[in-house]
Amino acid sequence: MAIDLATNSKVFLGYALITGALLLLAGLLLGLLRLSGRDVSSPLRTYRGWLIMIPIVLGTLLLGREATIAGVTLLAAFGFREFARATGLYEDWWMTGIVYLAIFALGAVSLMTDPRLGQPGWYGFFMALPTFVIALILLVPVLRNRAQGELQKVALAIFGFIYFGWMFMHLGLFANTANAYGYLLFLIFAVEVNDVAAFTFGKMFGKRKLREHISPNKTLAGSIGAIAVSLLLPWLLWFSFPQFNPALLVLTGLIVGIGGQLGDLVISYIKRDIGIKDMGTTIQGHGGILDRVDSMIFVAPIFFHMVRWFNGAG
Amino acid sequence: MPVMNIWKYHPSPDIGTPIADRLQRFPREPGMLAYAIRSIGALFLRAWMRVYHRLRIDGRENLPASGSYVLVCNHTSHLDTLCLLSAIALRRIHHCFPAAAADYFFTSLPRSAVSSTLINALPFDRRAGGAQSLDLCSRLLREEGNILILFPEGTRTTTGATGRFRSGIGRLAAGNDLDIVPCHLEGGMRAWPKGKLLPRPRRLHLRIGQARNFRQLDTTAESVKAVCKDLQECVSRLAGGRA
Repeated sequence: MAIDLATNSKVFLGYALITGALLLLAGLLLGLLRLSGRDVSSPLRTYRGWLIMIPIVLGTLLLGREATIAGVTLLAAFGFREFARATGLYEDWWMTGIVYLAIFALGAVSLMTDPRLGQPGWYGFFMALPTFVIALILLVPVLRNRAQGELQKVALAIFGFIYFGWMFMHLGLFANTANAYGYLLFLIFAVEVNDVAAFTFGKMFGKRKLREHISPNKTLAGSIGAIAVSLLLPWLLWFSFPQFNPALLVLTGLIVGIGGQLGDLVISYIKRDIGIKDMGTTIQGHGGILDRVDSMIFVAPIFFHMVRWFNGAG
Repeated sequence: MPVMNIWKYHPSPDIGTPIADRLQRFPREPGMLAYAIRSIGALFLRAWMRVYHRLRIDGRENLPASGSYVLVCNHTSHLDTLCLLSAIALRRIHHCFPAAAADYFFTSLPRSAVSSTLINALPFDRRAGGAQSLDLCSRLLREEGNILILFPEGTRTTTGATGRFRSGIGRLAAGNDLDIVPCHLEGGMRAWPKGKLLPRPRRLHLRIGQARNFRQLDTTAESVKAVCKDLQECVSRLAGGRA
């Protein structure tokens, strides 16, 4: 992964073209709807959010492996920050401090060269790090000699680290693979398309609620439509991973389609349990960082281990 | 079957407010990121003041070691705030709030970001005699260990002479057991005059006077006036080099 590799990579250029074309199409559609007198202020805000996000994501990937891992690390840190501010864990600076340090440690080991294998990215340490971090978090109540309410804080900190840090940051590990652009671009593109598809199909055909006590806006039709689109995408974008056989394409579609929606539902019940609407206000028309990357948290680690199992580290 | 107790969450009170509004809120939610930026910023600020402006500080021993107090100073440039911030112990900067005009320092997102994160400014509403903001200040000072930086002239002077003190400081101080520390900064106008984009490398000299306390006074308009006059004289005396 590097600038010259990206500009010579058919995969990168392909995705840049596809997203550019889709943005243009969506912009034209919104313009037409507006001319026909519909109120498009809400989708327009979401669209503007995309216009800011997509160049940032593509630009970061273009800059190469280090920038990508740094970007994923920052996203994880700010994502955890939103979680901490939502739950009240942010008041406990020891717990949050350890989790931030741990997230940056994950970024560091993703960047390092494996000292024994000589490959980019210290995969073994990345997988082992939660052991030490959990131990450290569990030590905090002991060190400050306090018990009242500590289990809740420890549980929130461990969950926050594992879910928003460790699971999500598997995304950065793709940057160390030979086919980095293919995996990363497909994953980001497919997960977001899956989100949009669920929303669109739900709006058009949705009647039966999917999980009415968690997220009343999600419908069964939206969910099925999204899975259908996600099953189709790996075939359309086969050039991202030409070495995949059809069985792997189906598996990839299922991971993105089902995993993406599960990630969405998980954030939904977390927000509902806390009693807030959005995790933050960072991205115009999208809510917080976690409201945008929620689906990726589930998909990234499962897809990563699928690739690793069937294709090795390459 | 007994039901497990349901966890109680304490979401940050500013959750769901856009970043621009969050920066203008006061009191601010303490955040690790803002504290880190402010601490590092304070170190750079001190270095800059020492090296670029050769800042000399006299009378630092007059700063109360604990408790809440107010610093009042003449106001010739933005450097006044920065010098006073450099005079305060590093561990107290997160509890030190320079009162800054809301209609100047909190008008755009970048300005609000600098004012709230680096300077830790209290957005002071100059309208209606600042009554609302003064309430906020006195509430802040009733808490333990807060420092308020106030420029009683209300705006930067362009003549160099210390202007008339507005009544706000008098209303805060009269009849309250509150230490008011008069300060005077010399050289601010030469180093960074109003209207210039960047400061110039000129010497600065900060003199910190002995704390004043006006708890024996009542809260009538005469006492308020007396407090303002007294403090204005203290600052002017410091300008002449006397404590």
